[in-house]
Amino acid sequence: MSAVIEVSDLKREYISSKGWIRRKKEIIKAVDGITFDVKKGEIFGLLGQNGAGKTTTIKMLITLLAPTAGVCKVLGADTFGGEKFIRRRINFIFGGEMGVYRRLSARDNLKYFSNLYYIDGAVAEKRIAEILELVGLADKADLLVETYSKGMIQRLQIAQGLINDPEIIFMDEPTVGLDPLGARMLREIIKKLKAQGKTVMLTTHYMFEADELCDRIAIINKGRLVALGTPEELKRGVHGLSSLEIALANSTDALLNRIKAIEGVKSVTAAGVEKGTAITVKYLSDVDVSGRTLDILRDEKIYSFSRKELTLEDAYIQLVEKAQ
Amino acid sequence: MKKLRVIWDTLKLQMKNSFVRPMFRFCLIANPIVNTVLIYEMFKNSGQENFTTYVILGAGLMGLWACICFSSAGDINRERYSGTLSLIFATPADFSTIIFGKILGNTILSLATLALSFLTAKILYNAPFQIASPGYLLLSLLATVVCFITISTVIAYLLTLSRKTQLYMNCIEIPIILACGFVFPVEILPAWVRPISYALSPTWAIKLMRMSIAGINNPAQYFTTFGILAGLTAIYVLLSSLLYQVIDRQVRIKATLEVS
Repeated sequence: MSAVIEVSDLKREYISSKGWIRRKKEIIKAVDGITFDVKKGEIFGLLGQNGAGKTTTIKMLITLLAPTAGVCKVLGADTFGGEKFIRRRINFIFGGEMGVYRRLSARDNLKYFSNLYYIDGAVAEKRIAEILELVGLADKADLLVETYSKGMIQRLQIAQGLINDPEIIFMDEPTVGLDPLGARMLREIIKKLKAQGKTVMLTTHYMFEADELCDRIAIINKGRLVALGTPEELKRGVHGLSSLEIALANSTDALLNRIKAIEGVKSVTAAGVEKGTAITVKYLSDVDVSGRTLDILRDEKIYSFSRKELTLEDAYIQLVEKAQ
Repeated sequence: MKKLRVIWDTLKLQMKNSFVRPMFRFCLIANPIVNTVLIYEMFKNSGQENFTTYVILGAGLMGLWACICFSSAGDINRERYSGTLSLIFATPADFSTIIFGKILGNTILSLATLALSFLTAKILYNAPFQIASPGYLLLSLLATVVCFITISTVIAYLLTLSRKTQLYMNCIEIPIILACGFVFPVEILPAWVRPISYALSPTWAIKLMRMSIAGINNPAQYFTTFGILAGLTAIYVLLSSLLYQVIDRQVRIKATLEVS
């Protein structure tokens, strides 16, 4: 697959000045030499703390900001200089309640933006009807946006982002503030876009969302790339602990010691509960101890047995903390 | 054709958006009425023969300029704070075409100030107001609209570069009214101010309108003034075109399209 986004040693600095007579210039490095590429049809996640440089990176990619240094290409064109070629083929969705004309209806907002994207009248009309249906605003399309709830405004933003049927769509925390139904709807839309061969670049603070949607993820911290890989690669790349939660009718110290002796097990704790004992087994994520634990417990009465794997959130926290 | 659609749609959007704002409605409706009353009272004992011309044109143009200041210029800031400035900037449509549509919409809507000023003077004071050369007045009005559109474009571009738009637009409203002679001839201004007045195209647009109302006895003088206005407007168009090249790059280098 060919790369539709190429970022190499990309840097973006902001200069702020303070003082009246002796103005002091302060240079803030928002993005400090990151490198990655995104292939056609991929859902690519950009994760990082607030102020890590995710939004700045997206703004450079969507031609809103000029890079200070490095390569920043979308569909083979430089984002600073090649914007005429890029802008027709991409679109973006920013989370929050901004970016819509509140004194217009949702339909009029979409009509206006379809004109700015030079979409023919008949095509635009058909597409607007489809998109409004897709985001669940069809029955409220002619109400003024100022009467909308936050979630409805975000649905309208999503609709605006799809108006030109973009090849690449950039989403900056698109589910922030959306209700669970709205967030699920957006995740379904993203999956549909992928099925249509579109490329999606996404930032989010919701790790389960990134885990569910993204083919690959880049984690950035203080403007620098910390890790890059599939969610599974990222999880495997850190030495985390997974756990087994077992509810038993009875347990003895001998039993607990036998489990503790399994290779990879780090700790075994037991607590009396209303109905027997609850045992928690912590073990290294890269070894599977559940089979051998079950062997040891084969003559015991087991009420429940569940395994809690290392999550993307665990991996993310470890990677970011290591980079601090 | 596509550009025309963008201009037409932006113009409609702008008119809708502007008219629902109380500040714009104040500038559009209350401002010319109040100014007409105040200027009439100030001028009525001036002994000047054609003072109604100064009252109606002055108050109307003050209203027109206020609308332009608080809309064409202020809209950049409003769009910046509502997050739509970056959206429209990043569409395939030229930002200059969008800005032109906005300014055209505002200017057309703002022309109502001239009619309101006339109606106020007529209804409240039964003020005499005769147009000696209506054909010339129509031409002058057209030239005035073009002149205000070009000066608004230059201002709008400059304000895109800075986040301190609110401050600047407040600063330019009154000086332009005074320097361009909206309510008195610029010839009574101190000599050192006059070069500034003559460099501002509204000065010449207002001269043309006054000449048309008083009557054109010397067409050569009218067309000389018209020529100066056309020349200045051409310079402004050139300036705004150059400015656009600069702002298109600078707003992305300086990151002034949004508020953080």
